[in-house]
Amino acid sequence: MATGFFTDTTVCIGCKACEVACKEWNQLPDDGLFFTGMSYDNTVDLGASTWRHVSFIERPVALNTQETGLGDFSWLLMSDVCKHCKSAACLEACPTGSIVRTEFDSVYVQSDVCNGCGMCVSACPFGVIDRREDDGRAWKCTLCYDRQKDGMTPACAQACPTQSIQFGDLDELKARATERVAELHERGMSEAYLYGADQEGTDGLNAFFLLVDEPEVYNLPPEPVSPTKTLSDAWRSLGASLLGMAAVTAAAVLAGRRR
Amino acid sequence: MTTDDGRNIDERVAVLSGEGSGQKVAAEGREDMESTPVHAVFERPPIESRGTGTYYDRPVLKEPVWKWFIPAYFFAGGAAGAAQVLAAAAQVADRDGLGGLVKRARWIAAAGLAAGTTFLIADLGRPERFMNMLRVFRPTSAMNAGSWILATSGPLAGASALLADRDGWLGRSGDLAGLAAGPAGLPLSAYTAVLLADTSIPIWHQTRRTLPPLFAASSMASAASLLEMMDLSDDEQRVVHRLGKISKTAELLAATAVDIDAARVEQVARPLEEGLSGTLWKVAKAATGASLVLSGGSRRRRKLAAALGVAGSLALRFAVHHAGKRSARDPKATFAAQRAGITRPVRDPSLV
Repeated sequence: MATGFFTDTTVCIGCKACEVACKEWNQLPDDGLFFTGMSYDNTVDLGASTWRHVSFIERPVALNTQETGLGDFSWLLMSDVCKHCKSAACLEACPTGSIVRTEFDSVYVQSDVCNGCGMCVSACPFGVIDRREDDGRAWKCTLCYDRQKDGMTPACAQACPTQSIQFGDLDELKARATERVAELHERGMSEAYLYGADQEGTDGLNAFFLLVDEPEVYNLPPEPVSPTKTLSDAWRSLGASLLGMAAVTAAAVLAGRRR
Repeated sequence: MTTDDGRNIDERVAVLSGEGSGQKVAAEGREDMESTPVHAVFERPPIESRGTGTYYDRPVLKEPVWKWFIPAYFFAGGAAGAAQVLAAAAQVADRDGLGGLVKRARWIAAAGLAAGTTFLIADLGRPERFMNMLRVFRPTSAMNAGSWILATSGPLAGASALLADRDGWLGRSGDLAGLAAGPAGLPLSAYTAVLLADTSIPIWHQTRRTLPPLFAASSMASAASLLEMMDLSDDEQRVVHRLGKISKTAELLAATAVDIDAARVEQVARPLEEGLSGTLWKVAKAATGASLVLSGGSRRRRKLAAALGVAGSLALRFAVHHAGKRSARDPKATFAAQRAGITRPVRDPSLV
């Protein structure tokens, strides 16, 4: 069964319970005491030991359905996570077969196989997976593979107090998400749309989002593509170049041999 | 007792068995940005994302984790591959007349592969697991393909070099290995360009069609330049000189093609113009150009030109490497390239 996350950003309150639950369940180390001075976001991004990250966007634009004392202002909050792409760049680029797809259709890194080559880090179009220098291997969200095997909900979704993070069967989640967008549109929040549920470049994300502004605002790529999809361009160009190299080399030695 | 690794777990009451519990932790905190002293917030306005079209200018992508070993490998492995091709071609054309060239080219290939493989293993986060590269056969991973290419070329190039001067069946085996090393050397010389195209880094992904010819030409130019620095017969010198001139010209043309390819999106082309990568890129072109102008003439001049050719190729690989790092740090490059439709695969009309 394919499971995933539907993250409805319109009900996120930025409590970071998901970040904490993830760290606790997976026994991930903290990232040091760090103060960014930008908004309320001191986590900054996803990384080797940060598998959930809440973005805090302070916009000088009001949401269609809101009126605030500040006038043109709105908060956008989003709990970001590994997207578990259907065409996963990290998995496809991994030279060791360390990254695999599980029975839940999620993308999982086997840390006992990973040799830390760094290929997945550069391949991921979302900047999710990262190598921890002191550990030497690549790490990312497992979609709580261990909990799912025991029929449990992933820690972040379990801890979310507003059901901004919803976990479940992917088809069911998509139906629920489509309904939610329609409901928001009806209420006048015409900006609402789904990000990633059916994305061409990744063949869809198993963790998709309901957003109310351009993806760039949330630091999400507007049209991510798994680079494997365009790899034939490079192989073809390489083939032509190598034919040229072979021809030139042959010509040079033939012209230079003893007469 | 609590563990001293940022987990704050009391091992008397808890077991370290979570998915991330195996993570080794030595360093603390981030290295890519500085913590803001709390009082500084009162002295200056907080960092704003308003109107920049980005999330506080934070990168979307992770910067490539590769260190200097990787561009050094691009150079060493590329030169080795091209030398294998040249040695095999010379062997077929005139094994005796070009014997010195065959032998030296085989040694360049063997040395390049030995150094290159060492660089690759040294760059791994877990070097002791390097053999895991050959655990699977995966065509979608250019790095996996490269590992197999390397595993084929290594023994062939090594055997052909060691057996170059032997007589009898040993010598014939060496020649056979040298012959097989030719076709194996072709992909080795430039597959690394495909490896870079297999990433989401804007500048590498966008130049996926022009990087392969650049790397191929640069590899042959460095092999020819390395050979020109050695003592060769007049016939051999002529071969190497001609090959060097053609490949350096091709290298300069391909570099211009990369410039044009990158310039399709202004923000993506920037790393080739500014910063360390921009400087290296200019140095690479200048050194290769100077090498082309100086080649020919006296022996000393020829050696100088050859040294410049090697320097040009080396600078070029480091330029491309650093351009990728710079490109990854720039969220606007990621956004602009995608909004321009550059990343989109071209759909095969026959499949629709």
